[in-house]
Amino acid sequence: MSGFVSTRGQVGFNDLKIPGAWSRKIGKDLYEVFIGPQHPGSGHMRIIIRIDGDVIVEADPDMGYVHRTMEKLGEGREWIKGIPLYERMAIHDACNVTLPYVRAVEQLLGIEAPLRAKYLRVLLCEINRIAAYLYGFGIFGVFVGHSTMYMWPFGDREVWIELADWLTGARLTHSYPVFGGVRRDVPADFTNQLRKAIRYMRKRLEEYRKIYVDNPVIRARLEDVGVIPKNLAIELGITGPNLRASGVLYDVRYNDPYEVYDELDFEIPVFQEGDALARVWQRVEEIKQSLRILEQVADWLDKHPREPILHDRFWKTAPPLHKKIFETEGRAKLVPLYALLKVPKGKAYARAETARGEITYYVESDGGQKPYRVRIVSASARNAIVFKYILPGHRVMDLPTIYGSIDYFPPEADR
Amino acid sequence: MVPPKPVPKTKPRRGIFHAFKGNLEALMIGVKYFIDPKRFTLIYPKEYNKLREGYRGFIVLIKQKCINCASCARICPAAAMKMIRIPEVDEKTGKQKVKNWPVIDYRRCIFCGYCVDVCPTEALYHVPYHDVVYQNMAEMYLDLESFQKPPEYKAAEEGIPVRYIVDEERGLVKVPYKEGEK
Repeated sequence: MSGFVSTRGQVGFNDLKIPGAWSRKIGKDLYEVFIGPQHPGSGHMRIIIRIDGDVIVEADPDMGYVHRTMEKLGEGREWIKGIPLYERMAIHDACNVTLPYVRAVEQLLGIEAPLRAKYLRVLLCEINRIAAYLYGFGIFGVFVGHSTMYMWPFGDREVWIELADWLTGARLTHSYPVFGGVRRDVPADFTNQLRKAIRYMRKRLEEYRKIYVDNPVIRARLEDVGVIPKNLAIELGITGPNLRASGVLYDVRYNDPYEVYDELDFEIPVFQEGDALARVWQRVEEIKQSLRILEQVADWLDKHPREPILHDRFWKTAPPLHKKIFETEGRAKLVPLYALLKVPKGKAYARAETARGEITYYVESDGGQKPYRVRIVSASARNAIVFKYILPGHRVMDLPTIYGSIDYFPPEADR
Repeated sequence: MVPPKPVPKTKPRRGIFHAFKGNLEALMIGVKYFIDPKRFTLIYPKEYNKLREGYRGFIVLIKQKCINCASCARICPAAAMKMIRIPEVDEKTGKQKVKNWPVIDYRRCIFCGYCVDVCPTEALYHVPYHDVVYQNMAEMYLDLESFQKPPEYKAAEEGIPVRYIVDEERGLVKVPYKEGEK
């Protein structure tokens, strides 16, 4: 640690001994510190900062540590096998992340999911969104040293994971939407449990406000830290809650509604300040809106009787056994056609709003059983550039605050 | 139906007594949960989570229903399900012939459940548990015999079953599992 304090030049190369960080002197009063990629506070990425004393002069986000060649892998697999693959980008946001892929392929096939399937997709998307925001809160909480805020959102996230588990059969990697519909209908009594969870979460958000968001200690650390001005936010092309917290109205659910988002009554909160605290408030408000959406979806599902949740193209060839299982268990069995699906030649483009922002898929088919090209631009990949422009001028102690408030998720960015 | 609408918002203002009021509120809520904590930790070996019907756990084959169609092997995204050729004697004609049967490699399986959903005769099903222990990697590659038996569930032998339900006041609550619940 002594090497960190002394900036007089007698400190040798690689002298700083902080777990996960590594530093060297690069000029008079100028040190280069490598934070990550094994640092508990950086996730699977490295931020290279140059510091003068305690002030960051330059920052360089260095990503790509969890790159899994996902786009290339997708080219070697049949269409349906892409869904469990692309899900691995952000497993706790699985439905949001794979939905545009499914929708792009549906465009090429020229089919559309039945209305009930659309509502079910929205249901899981919003459950995922809340769970992903809570995950982000937990990480952010522990970054700023507030271990209660680490435990609470992770505990409350279990509520939503439990619901998703009940609906789809898996806690995280749901693989729920398939081409032309979804895989399961809601179990009996699911909507009642969902309403209980919604009411619980509303109460809980008020408690979060008291212990964390409005806590004077936390406020002092977050307020006016990491301000992204409106024009810079647009210039850098950042997306999601970070963009909306800077005063820009852009939400795919609002600008280019997909599934049934244009039929649901909810608000798009837009904060003006653009600092770390506004980004937290942005997420709190968005959870409230997601709860509102879930309430409407639960009402809709209760009012409408069960109907097939797969498109007729797949469902009409289904044998009587499939229909019997759908009626008794609510499980839509897949026809063997899915494994050998040939998608007509063409190009399609689809996007969706994930918990971290806009994700876009460009899908090209050459008429075969496998995609010719799937290009993914994920939200975190677009948000990563923020570190370069926002960190300079802040002290090192603000780095975790800014990192946490951006809610950057490396596996999603690296693909 | 009403479409979504944008709503401009600002952070709540900091009042004169914010430092006092905010700290007090945070402390009060701390005291509240100090007296009455919310705990739902699973005391694992002593109790185990009885998962709901429909959970995508380990997969078991019912050989009598299988029609050797290889749909499961074809749709498997991780290439965990494979068809193996087994010679057998036809009961009616008494001739030697070779049939394909599915086997699973749990080193690769991602539990997406596509194979179970695609099976045209419901010859595959999920068991509602996932905490199964294998002694070594080779054991995880099941053969046709072991694929037909549900994997051994040690936790159920030693622990008591519990189930998590959503409660309006306390979030997730751990309750003892009653027999016959789905």
